[in-house]
Amino acid sequence: MNSITVKDLFKTYKGALQPTLEGLSFSFPEGKITGLLGPNGAGKTTTISILCGLVRADSGEVRIHELLQGAAHREAIKKVIGIVPQQIALFPQLTAIENLVYFGNLYGLKGKSLRTKVENYLEQFGLEKAGNKEVHKFSGGMKRRTNIIAAILHDPQLLVLDEPTAGVDVQSRSMILQFLREYNKKGVSVLYTSHLLEEAQSLCEEVVIMDEGKLIIQGQPMALIQQNAGCRNLEDVFLHYTGHALRD
Amino acid sequence: MLRIVATIRKEWLLLLRDKAGLALLFIMPMVLITVMAVIQDAPFKDYQEVKFDILTVDNDHGRLARYIKQGLGNTGQFNMLDSLDGRPVTSEDAIKRVNSGEYKISIVIPKGATASIVSNANRIVNDISKRMGLPSELPVKATNDTLHVQVYFDPAAKKAFRSAIHQAIDNFLTQVETDLLLERIRQQLKSRNSTETDTFPAINLKAVGLKEQTTSAEKRIDVISNSVQHNVPAWSIFAMFFIVIPIAGNMIREREDGSLLRMKLIPGSYLQILTGKMFFFVSICVVQFYLMILVGMYLLPLLDLPRLALGRDHVAAFITAISIGLAATSYGILVGTLFRTPNQALSFGAISIVILSAIGGIWIPLDIMPENIQFMGRLSPLSWGLDAINDLYLRNGGLGMILTEIGRLLLFCMVLLGVAAWWEKRRMA
Repeated sequence: MNSITVKDLFKTYKGALQPTLEGLSFSFPEGKITGLLGPNGAGKTTTISILCGLVRADSGEVRIHELLQGAAHREAIKKVIGIVPQQIALFPQLTAIENLVYFGNLYGLKGKSLRTKVENYLEQFGLEKAGNKEVHKFSGGMKRRTNIIAAILHDPQLLVLDEPTAGVDVQSRSMILQFLREYNKKGVSVLYTSHLLEEAQSLCEEVVIMDEGKLIIQGQPMALIQQNAGCRNLEDVFLHYTGHALRD
Repeated sequence: MLRIVATIRKEWLLLLRDKAGLALLFIMPMVLITVMAVIQDAPFKDYQEVKFDILTVDNDHGRLARYIKQGLGNTGQFNMLDSLDGRPVTSEDAIKRVNSGEYKISIVIPKGATASIVSNANRIVNDISKRMGLPSELPVKATNDTLHVQVYFDPAAKKAFRSAIHQAIDNFLTQVETDLLLERIRQQLKSRNSTETDTFPAINLKAVGLKEQTTSAEKRIDVISNSVQHNVPAWSIFAMFFIVIPIAGNMIREREDGSLLRMKLIPGSYLQILTGKMFFFVSICVVQFYLMILVGMYLLPLLDLPRLALGRDHVAAFITAISIGLAATSYGILVGTLFRTPNQALSFGAISIVILSAIGGIWIPLDIMPENIQFMGRLSPLSWGLDAINDLYLRNGGLGMILTEIGRLLLFCMVLLGVAAWWEKRRMA
């Protein structure tokens, strides 16, 4: 079974001259870590927003665990999917524990089991001493880690992360990547976007490279490197397909 | 239910961490209504309860001057001054002092005013006697010149004040003329038809008098509109509507810091989260309202102001407070949905509340505004709230009396939430 199936996705925002997505199609099976890669403006964030039902596509089809994204399955998909947005989607004036308990409550979790879960995750992410500290006093790395915990409280089957390691130090990044590998071993599919291609090469079993709203190529990182003569790593493959022109 | 309770708890924690916001919500409105009630106390007395000095120049020294001085003096609203620094007030001095604003009014009673009234009464009695075939004997003046009691007002005095004084002096003039006329008739009848021992019944022209009564069903309650009775509910409603600022700021912050995004990514209706948010902010509004009421009942009397009277239907007042809270909260949600930055929302929210309150009768009662402004004012939700409170507190009404206002406030709330939902949906597309 595919974890995500995207078929002929089109999206043009109101007032935009160019479409953001222009017939995007890709799929990847359950239980893998897949990287969704592309230069700025490629349409990655729009794709993720459509996957989780925040933005409606003009046409095309999205299936998450075979559930068709749309009004009929939107709630069921939200239960399956955990999203770590690029933004730190937390209340800065609340402590880490208050944030996580609140979001846990919104997922329908409560009481001692929620509290234990929150404490365990804080410990796993090295935040056990910071649980009662307000989030606005956290470092960038601490915020990113708390942001991830908030997305996995309900034990999703698919975890979508939009640049989860942007602006964090090496230690935090290492911890986040290690967590994702371990989390994936539990059978959770992971879709991840990043501009750090070395990181993507080491983490992902499969990558989808997109540009200008379309799929450019999809495959295993090592296979893509071998297929393209002269490419020594995923970054070379990426530049080979997307070019060297600046994207602003 | 868990989502609603969790949201209420979250909002409470956020408010507790925002000390400035807490002060803005509770302390500032209390200061505001205290200040407004104190400074509007004098204007609200509407010259009825304020005592003024009247400079009186008596060039007549007759009954008219005595009547005017006694009559105005007896109202308790005026001190009649006919001398300053031990010297009688002259016309020139009085005019000068009134023109400078030192005194509000001066009355100059001309020489021969009483004689003129007596002569006029004698002329009428003589005329009646002649028609009845009786010889007319009472003396009259050869000329029939009309004299005027001259009244001078401070140029800054309001029209209503001038009119009230004018009317009062006119009443005294009429009273003197009537008294003298009746006295002359009595004298005439006595001299013609009776013996020395006859007693004549006093002629009383006041067969029907005037007595002010309360319109309230509860006779013992007789509240009049005063500074406290107007300002406490009015500014409480104003303060409740200022909840727009924290709500709109809260919503925009949630959108900017991404927490709104996360809430939308979580399964379950956002309506439950919104319900929790509304419940919290409506509760804040209701607490604000009752804090202001306590200020009106216990703090303002300590400042020599009247105590706020609450009417008889406390349940209806509670329902009104909730309805105003719902209207204010929904307005905040709409502003928070429509605007993209806190600065935009803050400016629009604050200015729009000031405008809605100004035209809605919060600053000054709607009834004394121009007709077109009154029409616009009737569309302000603040005026619906104030009308409902006035019906309960001043007219001593019950729930049945305020159903229209409550209906309007609830409809306003529903329409605004509908527009906010539509706008948000449009943003998603």
